[in-house]
Amino acid sequence: MKATIRNKLVWGFSGVLLLLASVAAIGIYAVFSLRHSAQDATRIGGRLNAMALEIQVHNLEAQRRVKNYLLQVKSLGPEKARELYLDEADFEIAAIDSLASKAVAIAPTADKREKFQKIVDRAGVYKLALAAAVKAAEKDPDSQEATVSKAAYDQAADQLHDNAEDGEMVGREASQASQIDIDVTSRRSVALTIGISFVGMLLGATMSYKLSRAILVPVEHLKDVAENVSLGNLEVAVRRYSDDEIGDLADSFSRMVTAVKFFRMEAEEVHAHDGVEGQ
Amino acid sequence: MTIYEEVVFVSKTYLGPATEQFIARQCKLLKINPPQLAKTDLPGLAKWMGVGAGLLMDEKKAQELSAKVKSL
Repeated sequence: MKATIRNKLVWGFSGVLLLLASVAAIGIYAVFSLRHSAQDATRIGGRLNAMALEIQVHNLEAQRRVKNYLLQVKSLGPEKARELYLDEADFEIAAIDSLASKAVAIAPTADKREKFQKIVDRAGVYKLALAAAVKAAEKDPDSQEATVSKAAYDQAADQLHDNAEDGEMVGREASQASQIDIDVTSRRSVALTIGISFVGMLLGATMSYKLSRAILVPVEHLKDVAENVSLGNLEVAVRRYSDDEIGDLADSFSRMVTAVKFFRMEAEEVHAHDGVEGQ
Repeated sequence: MTIYEEVVFVSKTYLGPATEQFIARQCKLLKINPPQLAKTDLPGLAKWMGVGAGLLMDEKKAQELSAKVKSL
């Protein structure tokens, strides 16, 4: 494609428009990226936190029911006490198990998954400790074995409580981690936008300078040539600076100057010849 | 297209409105009638056109014109 002034202008302005479009696209990307990160923060962090709290509630409820069962197994009898308290406690433990498994599935990092996996494992230990305590209490609630089993059960319940608290912390951390992601993305987007804008400004300035030079230098040269010719100086060289419309104009002007020179030369010769004949 | 017309066509971009008169002048030096220009006249005409054009424009362009006329 010929580098005409028209093409230079079209490409120059297209380049500037492209740069502006890039900056706009990066801005839009940054906004959507931040929005996405914010949604992630709310969704995952909030859900993990809520799950950990729910686990705590189920754990407390299970402990309350087991405590009542162990207190009243002797007076109500194993079957009645089981029906009143233990079945519900089993339901609470199953809920803890299910919630912790779901949390493992959605936790964003390995260390967070590990924390919730600990709750799943601890729920298993809790179930075994409860089964042993129930068995010993149903046999003889006042026996040494029942006391030891109850202590083991209490310890398992406390550990499950501690693990659930860790899970709660993990939920909060997930929110904070997402907040850090938002900060990082926003900082990166701002830096990128500033960088691209700076490069765009630099390219725009260079393009404007080159474009103005490409037009002004040959035009100024033609102006000087025209001024010389108009004052009678035909010994000026017309330079073709570029292969564009101004270059074509320089060629036309050069042809015109050549023709004027020739006609003047011919006229001078005729004049000299007439002078010689006159003498 | 006669040889003369071809020479005029090629020279027009260099000499503009002075083309016909310029060629006539060079032909006069070679004692040729311009409309009767023949292919055999071209090397001599090209040489003189190069010399004559050198007085009117820069040497490079004059030699360019001379070469174009010679190659017709």
